[in-house]
Amino acid sequence: MKNKLRNRNSLAHDSLTTAPAAAAAAAVGTSRKMATLARTLHLVSRIRPSTVLSILPRAAAVGCLHTTSLQEHRGVSRVVQPAIDKTSWCSSSVRDYSSKPPLTLDLIQQRVLLVLKLYDKINPEKLSVESHFMQDLGLDSLDHVEVIMAMEDEFGFEIPDADAEKLLRPADIIRYVADKEDIYD
Amino acid sequence: MRKKRITVSCCKMASKLARAGVRQVKPILSVDHGEARQRVLNLYKAWYRQLPYIVMDYDLPKSKEECRAKLREEFMKHRHVQDIRVIDMLVIKGQMELKETVEIWKQKHGLMAYWKDTVEPKPQGFLNKFLDGHE
Repeated sequence: MKNKLRNRNSLAHDSLTTAPAAAAAAAVGTSRKMATLARTLHLVSRIRPSTVLSILPRAAAVGCLHTTSLQEHRGVSRVVQPAIDKTSWCSSSVRDYSSKPPLTLDLIQQRVLLVLKLYDKINPEKLSVESHFMQDLGLDSLDHVEVIMAMEDEFGFEIPDADAEKLLRPADIIRYVADKEDIYD
Repeated sequence: MRKKRITVSCCKMASKLARAGVRQVKPILSVDHGEARQRVLNLYKAWYRQLPYIVMDYDLPKSKEECRAKLREEFMKHRHVQDIRVIDMLVIKGQMELKETVEIWKQKHGLMAYWKDTVEPKPQGFLNKFLDGHE
């Protein structure tokens, strides 16, 4: 197993060293500079796929082709794809665990009201966007803390105490979340 | 250590002093009611977030909702306390309890004691009274 890995790495290193030579030869020969760039980048990407794929989608300078494991080591004579390719971005094999769904004010309102309706101390009939937690819905300060914690869990960011004590209506919460997530409608 | 002094109204001192007891004392942690309130709410948040893991770690025969109700009850026991230093002391005790619970220094019976009635029932029936010493 270790021998195989070492062979693979040596092959990879060889490909790295030969790649510029091949690139130079190709540049001198027939193909375009972009193709050679793509080829070297392709080989580089095959060696360390994870780091190359961690480039943000907005940075369209390098087009990643697709992930291949280290086990496949194909020859240099692959089909060359253009370096900058925004459309065929590796959609199927990359998962964005850190991305959030796109938010709108309407969606935020729906989520906030849903969370409040699911809370058993709130009467869903009395609940509206402008209803006050303490005065209209009859919650006390510990219930308010629970509501703010539910909002933190729902939207995935911490709400500090100084801000939390001012959020006394669902409308305040919606406005606060929209401010934090930079959503303007 | 804070050098600031706060004004605390002590009802028990009223009998000793001529006027309603107001004296200057050194604070324990909080300087005013707002700060004390923040400490209490943060303690509540910390306990609330820890409850699912407590139920899991200690294999408590209680559900999450029962634990939350008990937590609310424990906080409501002291809801009428006005003295800031007493509030601070209760918060510190609550933090100590939380630390012990999180680090699993307590055992299951220690946590189930929260649900135990603190008043022992009076013996009923002849035998129980006899065993207890009554004739």
